[in-house]
Amino acid sequence: MSDISQKMRDVAKKLLQDGTVSLVIGWEKGNLWYKSAPAFISLPEDADRLVFDDFCYHNLSKYLIDRRDMDGKITIFVKGCDSRSLIGMIQDKQIAREKLYIIGIPCPGMKEDKAAVGKKPGADLPEAKKCALCVNPNPLIYDELIGEKAPDREKKNDEILEKVEAMSQDEKYEFWQEQFSTCIRCYACRNVCPVCTCRECCFDSSAPQWLGKAENPSENSFYHLTRALHMAGRCVGCGECERVCPMGLPVMLLNRKLTKEVESLFNESPAGTVMEDMAAMNHYRLDDPEEFM
Amino acid sequence: MKGITKEKLNQLLQALSGDYQVFVPAKTSDTVTKFQPYGEGVQMFWQENTLLSPKDIFFPQTEKMYKFKTKGMSVDIATITPPDAPKILFGIRSCDVQSIDCMDKVFLTRGYEDEFYKTRRENTLLFALACSTHADTCFCTSMGIDPQQASLADVQMSDVGDAFALEAKTPAGEEVLKKFDANLVELSNPKIVPLDEILIHVDMEGVSEKLEGMFEHPLWDEVSSKCIGCSTCTYLCPTCYCFDIDSKLHGEDGTKIRCWDCCMFSEYSRMAGGHNPRPSKKERVRNRFMDKLLYNKKRHGQVFCVGCGRCVAKCPVNLEIATIIQKVKEAAI
Repeated sequence: MSDISQKMRDVAKKLLQDGTVSLVIGWEKGNLWYKSAPAFISLPEDADRLVFDDFCYHNLSKYLIDRRDMDGKITIFVKGCDSRSLIGMIQDKQIAREKLYIIGIPCPGMKEDKAAVGKKPGADLPEAKKCALCVNPNPLIYDELIGEKAPDREKKNDEILEKVEAMSQDEKYEFWQEQFSTCIRCYACRNVCPVCTCRECCFDSSAPQWLGKAENPSENSFYHLTRALHMAGRCVGCGECERVCPMGLPVMLLNRKLTKEVESLFNESPAGTVMEDMAAMNHYRLDDPEEFM
Repeated sequence: MKGITKEKLNQLLQALSGDYQVFVPAKTSDTVTKFQPYGEGVQMFWQENTLLSPKDIFFPQTEKMYKFKTKGMSVDIATITPPDAPKILFGIRSCDVQSIDCMDKVFLTRGYEDEFYKTRRENTLLFALACSTHADTCFCTSMGIDPQQASLADVQMSDVGDAFALEAKTPAGEEVLKKFDANLVELSNPKIVPLDEILIHVDMEGVSEKLEGMFEHPLWDEVSSKCIGCSTCTYLCPTCYCFDIDSKLHGEDGTKIRCWDCCMFSEYSRMAGGHNPRPSKKERVRNRFMDKLLYNKKRHGQVFCVGCGRCVAKCPVNLEIATIIQKVKEAAI
């Protein structure tokens, strides 16, 4: 992985020096051995801050939203999951393809930082929770690829989802009420999501006030269920929402359920995997399936 | 030195619960630890500080202020009295004790007493726990706090191996230990378990003063870039106190509520007419750290960071105050 870090630094330095791009978005080390963080490099001499290690789980594509009108092109480093959200953003016209010089990094899977707490540097760590069901380790869109292609990953059963699907209605209600009563409405899940790109989020609106300010299971449920429906069929499975939740809510469970429903109803390619295929909820065809209506 | 063996801790807590609502650090799920009223089934947690700070005991995330009923052009208002039963915060650490001092300054001083905070805060005894174990992310020692001696403690508890030593620090603390003396034992030669090495150190010397001249410094563009504008840091921070006020209406009946707010939200400072004096993340991130490290120092005489490390642990992008303090210290003016 340190070999990849050096390649990142070399390519970033070159692209900034010859003026191909005016900004490079990548990762750098944080203040603990098990923390890396997004990095924004505009000077060639700062390129040496760039790293690619076991803790580069952040999906950087969300940062493009605020920068789509800036001068010059942007280089962004993407793993497999991140590249899917880039495709989604380009399809949604949230960012122009010509604005980007995309550098893909085949991903060996990240490590679980929450398991590193209290351990010494270099301790053996399990794979990150968000990587468990990954089937796209290799970037699906890029101008340049650094590193060896990652081996294909076997599609695993979603055991956690199956467990909840097997619950009775009452059990499901109890389960979700417990989760939603733990939520503190920090909106980290919404803010980190690369698919959540509305200029003004409905939950921030005060006139009309769609969502009350009170933090309780009722308001929290409304927030999570509504957001999941807005994501339906558009979620690319990067798992950032669940990773960033400070309370450990299984946010991805809702998204994976809806992804499964949309895929079975509309039989289209998963969101962000094929540039020519818009996410199922983002387009309309006269021959769309409608038996279920 | 008097104390309680860890074996008999439940007995003491049960006895105290007869006269007080006793809050203990507890594990409420696989991923959440917080202060909870002691009772049957509560799983106490001593390994490190709780994820959620105890500030919600005096300043709940959502608080009902009063009920109202409109009748034509007039309105009837019914007050809602916050709970004022005597409380004990049992096992609160030095950092959080210091944060209570900060919150007291915000809600009880400078000419205005917040009735809701005051009612909840009165009749509270602090049984502070000296830290022997701590999280990777703690840095209280850099913020002028002694992890084994809490400033406002009524009783200082220390881990001496198989027991907690209990030392009264105030007359109120003396009184409660005397009252429950039957539950305590005399500890022979108690030795406090020493604290393991703290990993994060920052140098606060001159930082507040330096910030006075750094409002327009390019540092804020750099550090704010990765912020995602959520409220994780704010809601977990034991000294963050901003709130919003909202109404819950059902026809003619309503309840006025106040709830935590966060200056990192894009609409936090948005005004009627649409103007927003903090339009981008840069202004909001700058405001947060200026508030913590400078404005509150000027207003209340102390820096509003107690080094609890919760923001360090949970910020999704590792944007945390310890690194900011370092960057300010090293910044070229």
